[in-house]
Amino acid sequence: MTSPVLRLTVNGRPTALDSVPVAERLLDTVRWRLGLKGTKEGCRTGGCGACTLLVDGRPTLSCLTLTHEVEGSGITTVEGVSEDPVGARVQAAFEAVGAVQCGYCTPGFVMTLTGLLKERGSAEAFEELLNDLAGNLCRCTGYASIVRAVAAVREKSP
Amino acid sequence: MTASMRPDARAKVLGQLAFGADLEAPGMLWGALVTAPAAHGHLRSVDLAPARALPGVVAVAAADLGPLLSGRSGDPERPAFPRETVTYRNQPVAAVAAPTLPLAREAAAAVRVVVEPIPAVSDVEAVFPDWPGSDLGASPHVAAHVLARRGEVDRAFREAGTVVRETYRTSSVHPVALEPHVCVAEVHDDRWTVRTSTQSPFGVREDVSSILGVPEESVVVDGAWVGGGFGGKGASFVEPYALLLSRAAGRPVRLALSYREEFLLGRTTLPAVVRMETAVTSGRIVARRVRLLLDVGTSLPGRDFATGYAIGFLLGPYRCPTFEIEGYGVRTNKPPFGPHRAPFAPQCAFVVESHLEHVAREVGVDPLAFKADHLWHDGDTTALGQRVAHFGLPTALEAARGVAEEWRRTAPAGHGVGVGLGFWSTNTPAGGEARVRLTPKELVVVQGEREIGTGSVLVGLAAVAERRTGLPRDRIRIEYADTAHAPYDAGVFGSRTVGALGSAVDQALRNLLATLAERWGGRSPVTLGWENGAIVARAGTARRPVSEFFNAAESEAGALVAEGKHYGQPGTIDESLVVAGTFYPYTDFTGAAHVAEVTVDRETGSVRVVRYAAFHDVGWVVDPLSARAQVEGGVAMGLGTALTEEALWSDDGRLLNPGLVDYRIPTLDEVPPVDVTFVEGFLGAGPFGAKGLGEPPIIPVPAAIASAVRAASGAHVTELPLAPERVARALKSR
Repeated sequence: MTSPVLRLTVNGRPTALDSVPVAERLLDTVRWRLGLKGTKEGCRTGGCGACTLLVDGRPTLSCLTLTHEVEGSGITTVEGVSEDPVGARVQAAFEAVGAVQCGYCTPGFVMTLTGLLKERGSAEAFEELLNDLAGNLCRCTGYASIVRAVAAVREKSP
Repeated sequence: MTASMRPDARAKVLGQLAFGADLEAPGMLWGALVTAPAAHGHLRSVDLAPARALPGVVAVAAADLGPLLSGRSGDPERPAFPRETVTYRNQPVAAVAAPTLPLAREAAAAVRVVVEPIPAVSDVEAVFPDWPGSDLGASPHVAAHVLARRGEVDRAFREAGTVVRETYRTSSVHPVALEPHVCVAEVHDDRWTVRTSTQSPFGVREDVSSILGVPEESVVVDGAWVGGGFGGKGASFVEPYALLLSRAAGRPVRLALSYREEFLLGRTTLPAVVRMETAVTSGRIVARRVRLLLDVGTSLPGRDFATGYAIGFLLGPYRCPTFEIEGYGVRTNKPPFGPHRAPFAPQCAFVVESHLEHVAREVGVDPLAFKADHLWHDGDTTALGQRVAHFGLPTALEAARGVAEEWRRTAPAGHGVGVGLGFWSTNTPAGGEARVRLTPKELVVVQGEREIGTGSVLVGLAAVAERRTGLPRDRIRIEYADTAHAPYDAGVFGSRTVGALGSAVDQALRNLLATLAERWGGRSPVTLGWENGAIVARAGTARRPVSEFFNAAESEAGALVAEGKHYGQPGTIDESLVVAGTFYPYTDFTGAAHVAEVTVDRETGSVRVVRYAAFHDVGWVVDPLSARAQVEGGVAMGLGTALTEEALWSDDGRLLNPGLVDYRIPTLDEVPPVDVTFVEGFLGAGPFGAKGLGEPPIIPVPAAIASAVRAASGAHVTELPLAPERVARALKSR
């Protein structure tokens, strides 16, 4: 079952999609229909956070989101988040402190943290931020360098 | 940290790198596996017709392989698909490919698989209720039996002042790389090409050749950025199935495991039971007896490496003149035993450290003093007769003891501080080769591995090249080539990359520098530098652009090429001590001492780790930030083994928690700050004395946590993980 045309704004660009099955997940639409593979597929059950992207600015698990649910919304992926000053600052902090090992979880962390900072502003308490990042899993870093990246972002916040 | 020290960081934060999971090919089909509905049984039929009836679907199973492979046959003991008997639940019995993944999954579900069940074996203790004490050697369930002995063990136990006997149980743990196993296969004529997320392209080539019966020179394996390995991607997995599907379809096929399949089919560390017996007289260990019952899943008899390798870790890094160790690798109806970052060593360290701490308390001596008294020092020999050399663990332990004492003084009431030790064998003899290409502008290291995240390839090999040549890191580039073009290397596993492959790179560089020296009229030593926009050779105060040393052919090619190889020597053990089976020697000793501070909720048994310190014997620190990151990450992974991770198997071989919600790995809020200290100067066999650091950080963690839990609460827990119910039970039974 498909619906004729579905409209989204993806990384600022109006996008019209044909014949998207009603059961298609936003994760698959973004990765395989739009070719934006920076969004990673991990567990597909909402358990790892690797597929996090922004829907109208809010961190969203794209594996648990049907594409038709977000019709008309603005989608931001890791490929487009550099355009946002907060996103660019988050990416720069992850790079600068080396909060990257295999890198598979990295886009999910970048998007979650960017969304949290945009939602709540940089006055958000450090502990609160860390608490809300705990839905993103990383098996390589032990999170230590990621916590350092979060601290670095806050220091550099305007 | 500058960007150049982690050259992949920029592309990774921008989401620009193509991992294995991101690969595709024009005209590609999507694959799915059909798996066995029972853990053990006769495979009566695999009916592909309902799958083939769906439009566009290609399906293959064992019966189809003959024509597909044109009469060739692979290793009969490890066919791609079973012909007669399934030996674990969800064992792949067929595969399908279709134009979309939903259709491929629908087709896989439509295949009718009939299995006539045979009783399955799952719990090793249920198979051998009389263990220990009975000879299991003749049982068909035994995949391996190892036994070694020195001295008069029975007499030593009879005459000892105190004998302590305990039984420990450890759990099944899963690597949990976030990227599932995935590949894209493409078969044209006689060329079997697969692009895959792997820790060992050459290992996959060897496996594919063996499983499918295709000559190695017809198989080309091309790696991709790997989304985490941890041992789970060290051998082939999805590649043979994808290649068979591509061969049948005449089109490229992408095959990825779902995350549920990662758990259900994944090779992993399986449960074990260990009986520890220690005899002590006047504060000295006079004899030890260790018995291991290790679940090795459907590992093949004679091919079980785990039992003979792991059992040595159960004696720990301690002197012991009189001992008996006996291990059985027990076949069960589970997937084959597979590597998981320092396979089985964290479990062994938990057992031996917890036991010796218990022994010390029983005889009334300080556990750390007791361990320090028995710890290996340079010049000692291991139980199996290997000489210990360049061993930094005693130094690491002294430093850890200082921190533990300070933390004990400063910790709030109710907190407990514990210490755990572990040792490991790095720089395995598995070999490697490398090629270096010097151009006027850059030094390129051409090799066969891909970066799995640790930095051992991208950062480690570059750091070795920087130290050997003097050229700055940003003029050194690591280049990857597929198995048709890269020099051979065994793989990114066993903490061997910098040690073994790094030695091959170092050898190639020494050959390169020797060539330059020779062409410079025998000047020596020659090093490299970057001056005025060109790479120069340096000797004393003299400088010349390296391009001046190129011969005509090299000038035309624009580069001077040199090669190097490194095939390490395995250690040797005293075979006169071996009564049965095969024990595997260690190659280059390293060790670590960890300190943990925890609190324990006395009602629920829940453990919280407050702070953590790790002291590691590394030879020399090849790259400070990567080294620190390895330890931080390894400690976190070890906290999972210690506290939450446990794959639960039913009596009929069913995995009960195949997903990240029910199999819990540590989250950001559960990992404490980790202080990392490196002990340098105990030089190993790697370049400039480097020792491996990929695996050691996970090893002492469960031991340190158990020690801290006991200090905090008195709970002596003899099973992993230290889940709340186990800790609570141990508290109640005190």
